[in-house]
Amino acid sequence: MNKKTGLIFFPAFDWAISPTHPEREERLLYTRDQIFEEGVMDLPQIHEYAPRLASLHDVSRTHFCVPRVQSQVTEAHLIAAGSTLQLGDSVVSGEIKNGFAMVRPPGHHAMRVVHGNRGFCSINNEAILVEYLRRRHGIRKIAIVDSDAHHGDGTQDLFYHDPDVLFISFHQDGRTIFPGTGFTNELGGPGAYARTLNVPLPPGTADETFMYVVDNLVLPVVKDFQPEIIINSAGQDNHYTDPLGSMRFTARAYADFTKKLKPHLAVLEGGYAIETALPYINLAIILALADVDYSYVMEPDYWPGRFKESPEKTAQVHRMVEQLLESWANRDKVDIPKIFGVGKYYQRKKFIYYDTDYIEEEQIEKVRMCADCPGYIIIESRAERGYRAPVRIYAVSIPFQACHSCQSEAYDVYEQAKKQGECDYIYMQDKSTDTCITYEKDKGQEWVSEG
Amino acid sequence: MYIGIDVGGTSTNAVLLDDGLVKASATVPSRDDIITSLMEALDRIMKGVPAELIERVVFSTTLITNLIAEKKYDPVGIILIPGPGLSHVHYQYNTDTLFISGAMDYRGREIMPLRDQEIANAISCLSTKGYKKVAVVGKFSSRNNKHEKEVASRIKSLHPDWHVEMGHQVAGQLNFPRRVVSTMLACATRDKYSFFVESVQAALNRRGVEGLVYILKADGGTMPLSKVTGVPIETIFSGPAASTLGVQALIPPGETAVVVDIGGTTTDLALILSGQPLLSSRGAPVYDQLTQVRALAVKSVAVGGDSIVERVGKEILVYSERLGAPFCLGGPMPTPTDALRVLGLTRLGNAKKALEAMDMLGQPLGMSHSEVAQRIINMVIDLVVQEIEAIFKQWEQEPAYRVWEVLQKRKERPNMVVGVGGAASGFITQIAAKIGANPVIPPYAQVANAIGAAVAVPTLQVNLRADTEQGYYTIEQEGYQGKIEKDPFTEEDALLLAGEWLKKRAEKYGLNQAVEKKEFTRRDVFTMVRNWITTGRIYDISVQTPRGIIGHIGARGGFSD
Ligand SMILES: [Zn+2]
Ligand SMILES: [Zn+2]
Repeated sequence: MNKKTGLIFFPAFDWAISPTHPEREERLLYTRDQIFEEGVMDLPQIHEYAPRLASLHDVSRTHFCVPRVQSQVTEAHLIAAGSTLQLGDSVVSGEIKNGFAMVRPPGHHAMRVVHGNRGFCSINNEAILVEYLRRRHGIRKIAIVDSDAHHGDGTQDLFYHDPDVLFISFHQDGRTIFPGTGFTNELGGPGAYARTLNVPLPPGTADETFMYVVDNLVLPVVKDFQPEIIINSAGQDNHYTDPLGSMRFTARAYADFTKKLKPHLAVLEGGYAIETALPYINLAIILALADVDYSYVMEPDYWPGRFKESPEKTAQVHRMVEQLLESWANRDKVDIPKIFGVGKYYQRKKFIYYDTDYIEEEQIEKVRMCADCPGYIIIESRAERGYRAPVRIYAVSIPFQACHSCQSEAYDVYEQAKKQGECDYIYMQDKSTDTCITYEKDKGQEWVSEG
Repeated sequence: MYIGIDVGGTSTNAVLLDDGLVKASATVPSRDDIITSLMEALDRIMKGVPAELIERVVFSTTLITNLIAEKKYDPVGIILIPGPGLSHVHYQYNTDTLFISGAMDYRGREIMPLRDQEIANAISCLSTKGYKKVAVVGKFSSRNNKHEKEVASRIKSLHPDWHVEMGHQVAGQLNFPRRVVSTMLACATRDKYSFFVESVQAALNRRGVEGLVYILKADGGTMPLSKVTGVPIETIFSGPAASTLGVQALIPPGETAVVVDIGGTTTDLALILSGQPLLSSRGAPVYDQLTQVRALAVKSVAVGGDSIVERVGKEILVYSERLGAPFCLGGPMPTPTDALRVLGLTRLGNAKKALEAMDMLGQPLGMSHSEVAQRIINMVIDLVVQEIEAIFKQWEQEPAYRVWEVLQKRKERPNMVVGVGGAASGFITQIAAKIGANPVIPPYAQVANAIGAAVAVPTLQVNLRADTEQGYYTIEQEGYQGKIEKDPFTEEDALLLAGEWLKKRAEKYGLNQAVEKKEFTRRDVFTMVRNWITTGRIYDISVQTPRGIIGHIGARGGFSD
């Protein structure tokens, strides 16, 4: 077990959403300075890999980009996603024991349908990795733990009906921060009940409570789930200096968490305290992954005992953990029809706001209730963007575990939608055969891509 | 006329170039006294040539490399100011290393002050142990050298005779552990290097050579001999750089080639990509420690013509050691050179002895001598080919930190395998065949390193980092820290300032012509936004003189481009 820790550092020094946007060239500059000056890349425990591009098909396998992938991503997005895939390959092949994709831009707010950029995200790096690991390496059970201060709503959306993906997100309470979701009652769809667990934490939560959640909820549930791969959406805006969040985690706590969770892959998400937090947290996470002493890493303005938490808030979090543990324990015993109904489809309506691109999306998501598989998903979506004509799409997604009858039924649904001609674009995403099809009404034309 | 001299461990090579033609060349054994062999080689190539016609002499020498390898230098004590970050157990350098408080952050802001008492204790500790040479290195000292300067001046005030070297003066690039090694080695070798420079100057003066005298650096660039005392360690590993430049001059421009320099016990591999030698991204390694010295990417494989070959059970093994000459030249053990002799790929040594060597290995296995010989050669070739593949893979795997760098990454394969060095001729054809390239043994392959030295041109670089919010800039190569006078200070201003510093550096080294052409290899601009307000910009600018050689050695005289 002398395997190395793989790193891909892709700071994208020539890419920004806009010059003064938090997601700009400067974001990983001080992280670079810190890890280069420490000589981290020269440590015998570390192997640095070159970034690579994800293919457009890698993206289509995960998202419905409207109208097509090229219109939603820049090369920087493909490199951030591709670097994540590179480390995934290296972990699966056994070349490295774990890895950290320190990449920009982030992705955990990107949902299944992508009309534009939300929360600085266009495509979801972890989700693209999950679908890739399944397709390329036959991996089934995967746990994603999201440690960003914002709810990982994109990742949740993508795996809400997938019983083989455990998604745990702890974050600042959605009533006080973007995107306003991630409450304890969001537990997953009928076929994946309690495979989604959300831990909304009160603003001001500090290391002690963070570790309580990790020790009492995250670690036991992940262990119980027995995933083949553990991924950490390593957002760093829970830090006490972050300008967007109001939490009080320290770099040391992030490292302790990493050491305990032992993720196979950490993927950088948010974190906008680019001077006061990122250099220290990133260094600490790298050292924790590589099993190197990180006790000398410390923010210059930190002293032990700096943050005290109120007992009421702590007690509130303890109760929440109890409740979530109960949901987890009862996940296979609950009365699913009672919660979700007994129709052919389970259906929910969603309203999604794209804060970066000012798009309003209305969505109806239906999942086929099937005894043999997680069921295919149908999405009808309508997006409005200022004065432009709204875009309507219809999308069908077949999960990689689909049973035969769901698969053939899904194709019928797709063909019907084409005939009805109500939507501008119609998509078929068949993960069981790795085929993605786009039909454009105006041109009456269909494009197919295969992996 | 140009002279190139490579002072190697076993032999000293020299060439005299006249307008792109090799007018004379010489190989003499290297003696303990470098100057003697140097003069000998010089006299041989200058026979009948008036000294006034020599415009330029370039040396490449393993002097510093050998000093370091043989640990022939005074002990150096180390005072480190590492601050928070990596645990201090990582900083081990085989000499007394003392840690003191104090820290700068990545923007050069003081986050922890020095403590007088600790400095005093560290100095007295080194004094008790008898050190007279000290390296002082602080983390992020290239962003702010205040702490290093304070400690150095304390040492100087207490012990004016001590030699103190500061990290920010030796190497400016970020990488604290590498800077520590570089600073320590610079401190260790400076006196001896100065002595070498003086002797060479004196020797050349005695012969009446008044042309410019340069020394080759590990990155394949040259520096005027008398000015390089600043950073003697930049000359380590200039040997492989010399051979690579030599090959560059001997093959057509723009080629992608692997340079295979097969010596007695090691084979050095280097890459020329589209006509340009590949620089290492990691800084030259000195034994197991990386330095911050810019160097060509050279991979050393521990096998050569004199490596010993043994039979172990049913296996035939090639070891990396040498036990003297090949068997056919009177040595004790069979070697790859004996195998080449048996296969008729060389004419070196005694044919009967070579056959005998093969039979010693082959008879117990019932193998004919040519079978054994072929097997040995195949093993050597496989090893070299594997390393060539690895070198290309490593190059493709070089990290990239910008979108355009990722997009322009290309896969390139060599068109030719170029052999230089003693045993090259026997192996090159088969190595080239294995990787699907053309084998080339250029004329003058034996003295390619001296040719490389002769055609090398000066390289000068300046990395400027300006932080407009803090109002100061640094010049990595100079250890300089200065105020930004202009407000606003734009990207154009930053480029101009970097260009001015390049000129200043050129003047300092007497290389004014070198900066007529310059290229910006990096120009990053980072907008700093704090509390939703733009508070400043950071400019990262690199400017350098174009890398290259004087010209290619033409078949009919005259340098060609
Ligand atoms: Zn976030
Ligand atoms: Zn089904």
